[in-house]
Amino acid sequence: MDFGLFDLKIVEYSFFITAVVVILIGLYGALVKRSLIKVVIGLSVFDSGVNLLLISVGYLTSGTAPIYSPGLLKGMPLTLENIKKLSEGMVDPVPQALVLTAIVIGFGVTAVALSLVIRLYRHHKTLNIDEIKNLKW
Amino acid sequence: MVGSPVLFIAIPLLAAFLIPLLGFVWKESIRVLPGLVLIYLLALSVSLLGQVMHTGTIVEVIAGWKPPWGIDLVFSPFTGLLTTVMLTLGFIIWIYSYRFKNVEFEEAKKYFILFMMLITGSVGIVLTGDIFNQFVFIEITSISAYALTAFYKGRDSAEASFKYLMIGSLSSMFLLLAIILIYSQTGTLNMADIAVRAHDMKPSFKVMIVIFFLTGLGIEAEIFPLNGWAPDAYSQAPGPIGAAFAGITVKAGVYALIRIIFTLFDVQGTHEFLIVIGLTTLIIAELSAIRQVLLKRMLAYSSIGQMGLVLVAFGLGTREGVFAALFLMVNHAIIKSLLFLSGSYLVYNSTQKFISEASGMGKHLPITSFLFSLGAIAIVGMPPFAGFWSKWSVLSAASDAGMITVIVLILLVSIVEVVYYFRVINQIYFSRKESHIEPKRPTVNALIAMISLGLIILVIGFWPDTITGYLQAAADTLMDKGKYIHDVLSTGQLLIP
Amino acid sequence: MNMIIVLFALFLGGAVLTWLADKISGILRDGLFLLTMIGGATLFFLRIPTGSSVDITLAGLHLQWGLTPTAQVFSLVVMGLGVLAAIFAISYMKGKERLGYFYFNFLMSILGMTGILLSRDLVSFFIFWEIMTWSSYFIVIYSGKDVQSTGINYILFSAIGAYAMLTAIVMVWSQGHSLLINDMVRNFPFYPPSWKIWIPLLFLTGFGVKAALMPLHVWAPGAYTRSPMAFTSVFSGALSKMGIYGMIIVFVRMMDVVPQGAVIRDVFAWLGIITAILATIWAIAQDDARKLLAYSSIGQLGYIVTGVALGTPLALMSAFFLTIMHALFKGSLFMVVGAIERQTGTTYLNQVTGLIRKMPWTFLTALISIIALAGIPPVGGFIGKWMLYESMITGDRYILVIFTFFASTAAFMYCYKFLFGFFMGQEEKEWEHVKEAPAAMVVPPLLMALFAAVLGVFPGIILRPIDTAMQGMGFAGSGGHFWQMSTLFNDWGNTIAMKPLAIAVTVIFLLFAIFLTLKGLKETRYTSTKDISTSGEVPLEEENLTFSENFFQPFLRAVGPLMKYRIMVWYRQLGSSVEATADYLRRVYSGNGQTYAIYVILFVVVLLLFKDKLFG
Repeated sequence: MDFGLFDLKIVEYSFFITAVVVILIGLYGALVKRSLIKVVIGLSVFDSGVNLLLISVGYLTSGTAPIYSPGLLKGMPLTLENIKKLSEGMVDPVPQALVLTAIVIGFGVTAVALSLVIRLYRHHKTLNIDEIKNLKW
Repeated sequence: MVGSPVLFIAIPLLAAFLIPLLGFVWKESIRVLPGLVLIYLLALSVSLLGQVMHTGTIVEVIAGWKPPWGIDLVFSPFTGLLTTVMLTLGFIIWIYSYRFKNVEFEEAKKYFILFMMLITGSVGIVLTGDIFNQFVFIEITSISAYALTAFYKGRDSAEASFKYLMIGSLSSMFLLLAIILIYSQTGTLNMADIAVRAHDMKPSFKVMIVIFFLTGLGIEAEIFPLNGWAPDAYSQAPGPIGAAFAGITVKAGVYALIRIIFTLFDVQGTHEFLIVIGLTTLIIAELSAIRQVLLKRMLAYSSIGQMGLVLVAFGLGTREGVFAALFLMVNHAIIKSLLFLSGSYLVYNSTQKFISEASGMGKHLPITSFLFSLGAIAIVGMPPFAGFWSKWSVLSAASDAGMITVIVLILLVSIVEVVYYFRVINQIYFSRKESHIEPKRPTVNALIAMISLGLIILVIGFWPDTITGYLQAAADTLMDKGKYIHDVLSTGQLLIP
Repeated sequence: MNMIIVLFALFLGGAVLTWLADKISGILRDGLFLLTMIGGATLFFLRIPTGSSVDITLAGLHLQWGLTPTAQVFSLVVMGLGVLAAIFAISYMKGKERLGYFYFNFLMSILGMTGILLSRDLVSFFIFWEIMTWSSYFIVIYSGKDVQSTGINYILFSAIGAYAMLTAIVMVWSQGHSLLINDMVRNFPFYPPSWKIWIPLLFLTGFGVKAALMPLHVWAPGAYTRSPMAFTSVFSGALSKMGIYGMIIVFVRMMDVVPQGAVIRDVFAWLGIITAILATIWAIAQDDARKLLAYSSIGQLGYIVTGVALGTPLALMSAFFLTIMHALFKGSLFMVVGAIERQTGTTYLNQVTGLIRKMPWTFLTALISIIALAGIPPVGGFIGKWMLYESMITGDRYILVIFTFFASTAAFMYCYKFLFGFFMGQEEKEWEHVKEAPAAMVVPPLLMALFAAVLGVFPGIILRPIDTAMQGMGFAGSGGHFWQMSTLFNDWGNTIAMKPLAIAVTVIFLLFAIFLTLKGLKETRYTSTKDISTSGEVPLEEENLTFSENFFQPFLRAVGPLMKYRIMVWYRQLGSSVEATADYLRRVYSGNGQTYAIYVILFVVVLLLFKDKLFG
């Protein structure tokens, strides 16, 4: 891929920067907003930020898919050296696997959270987190 | 008994999925199946524990992917001991909750599915040798714990569950961040491999990873500023689940934290930090308990305090300290479960669970009250019951490490503990029953569960040597980091040199 | 199997069986209870010789049980009082509720005390100490009255004491990993200098609580009053003596190598005497006989502590002797109060009068015990006091002597009040129906009172084991002349000839007894205290005109300013401020999920900011 004017380094960092910004937005939502729904959204956004961070760790600019096929060798002999060289151009698959898992988990948590919000609303007739403080001290 | 560590995770998970299916065929099966699963696993874990005490650690490789690539399960005297304790409690809690509150079929189905998931997750946390896998198990445990906290409708359980969920998802974020950092620095997720490569890691990264783990796992282990969810969750969850939290879930959290600190990263200052934060947790929790008017909330604070004490003992860093911490964990699991189980009958027919509602139960529920008092006396560390020996080992370990201040603080806090527990005992036996309270006699299975816990307390109290051998071996295993790495990594030959 | 283990198993098994038997039949329960107590005492005296010991390894700790000569003396008190109180209890407790519970805890506390005396290492000492504590706690709250104040006070102070002791024990443990008391004493001179002060002080705090030493005594009046009298006699007579037993170990075997040992001895000697004086004043002010005796016990223990703290051979001997005497007379006095409580339903001195004819045997018991308590020859109390005086005088501690003298003279006042309030004075119609207590409630205290009287004449009976005990602790033996003598027929003490004094006092005593007997032969004429009219005013029915009402009012007015300062008030303020702080502290759990989340983020941020400091 060609990014033209952009320095490749900046592109690589931009993932991290974006991830951190997304995380901070999520935190803001979760910590400051008073509505339960917004809190849940904030947590979700936070989750996405972390996932983005995770995936950017394994990302290589202009890397290839981590799929091995004999054609990739382009006539080179099948030696350890060559496999290594080949894999250097590939995106690390492990973070992607991890992120998939993390997304599934995040989905589950969000689902539970929203169902709890429904129950809380039925019980308290409000979504303001400041008014849901029956349990304290 | 034949079997391998993977069964500890596979079978309860399978059972969790089978329960709704079998429920169509035979309604009682949803209650029976978890018990069968747990008794089998308990027997298996006891026999495996006996085996590893002699032959050494079992490392099981999943699906032929050898460490450091695949996921491995480590059944050592240390993890095996914790697994056995968890399964013992799981089984007892199952006996107790077999007919708990006579809930409907649908409710019971959910309850047992979630309970099986909780067991799967907690045991998985302890057995796995892969850091990301551990994260997944933590999430399984957490999600089932959220759902179980919110089990009762019409109380404030949803509120407690939501707070738990908020803090819990923060916890999982920080864990994930820590795992990202580890992976970006070492390129591996296998714990033993991380432990090997951690030496070459940049110190600043190492510290950051440890901080994230301290936060993420500290939430599970209920350390002080991170434990806001705990009193709510304990007090709103059903009684047996409170016991499961105190005896199973928290123990898994503490295990994970300890594994990170003792095996993976030897960052200077973590042990001292554990002592300081443990003492803070202990002091604040016990002080919060003293004026508590709600029974389960008081038990929750007491439980948090005990976890603080466990961390103090681990923080000593010596073999005696680890031994003491493990002893404390085992005792606390047993005693606090007894307190939750008997306590929830003392305040059975009330949603608020005021201590005053247990007034006069000594006359109406003699056995339950007696067992509660036994637990209370045991947990404050009065001999000749189990709690005394763990308290003694903590104190003697601290004195060996030369920390007299720690001893004095622990004992000062213990005085507070004595006061509030004995107030409750007095209330149970010597106050008049409030007229609108209907005492609820425990069912036979609940009695069996509580009495067996009481008997364990007495046995350990009068003859601590029944378990000290296992605890010693477990402490040795945890302290011997090199052997852990060797045991895990020697199972697979390295593909790439 | 070693007999010590059999003894413990017997008490434990007996206690559990008694408790279970309560569900089956009352007679079986009472029988088991008596059988356990008497069997245990028999086994103890017949089959456990001094010097025998057994080694046990528990939880990796080396524990040792065995009987030392010192413990032998104390075990006389525990076992003797235990058996008599058990016999008394059967009759005293008849018809009350939850007897299984009471007997179980009674036997457990006897087990605890026996265990303390048989422990030769610190951990089993502590274990039995705590068994004794919780079992006695459960008896204190048995009546169900004031459980949240008296009960919590007792367990709170016990916990403070026990944990002070535990701190000292783990400190000892860290020095050389041996828990044997002998090893501790042997290595004690080599401990770090500051520890040499702290360890004895921590131990003494622990023992001071049980010995009700000021300012740790505040639990005692309530606890002694609230437990059933059958146990209070054990409580005051034997259980509190465990504190003395511990103090003897500390003062005799450790204090000499403490750099500031002399100061600590002085402080405790003074604490003992101050305890004695203040407790005596408080005892005079009480109208409830139980409270009066409770304060009196605190005072008497004060003397004993002073004796132990002084630590000279004579002072120590007086402490031993007073320990036994106090167990005898206070044990019997509490039983007397118990008997009166059973027969009249009250223990207030300003309500019951004129029991001398109704309960003559109880009166005789009370009379002899009171004489012992007041320290009047020829009954035993005098000898102990005398030894204490002499040890103070020979040690040139004249101010202590003056204070002691003041305290024991003032003690006459409450002695008089007790005797007079219950037994003398006008016989009221209200108490006409009162009969003598059953034999089981009369014989045990009477036996103790008589034994106290016998000891006054032949102190050698008990001075012999005391002498053995003192030799066991390294004191020079008395050469055997102690136990051949008696106050009546021999000279006693170093400087003052006792014979004329003793004979004179005996004669007076006898004359008084004859006078009382003659006086008692007269017919009774019943009148009521209400049967008066002053200046035409007829007293109201509820007005208390018993002569014991406002007894010693002038004296109390004189010491009134002193009694304004109650340390309990200070403790209560301290306690409530701690609780208020705790209450404030727990507001960090604000109930708002977002606050908790902010705590989490703050935690991370703080750790990240200070990571170089924390994890450098």
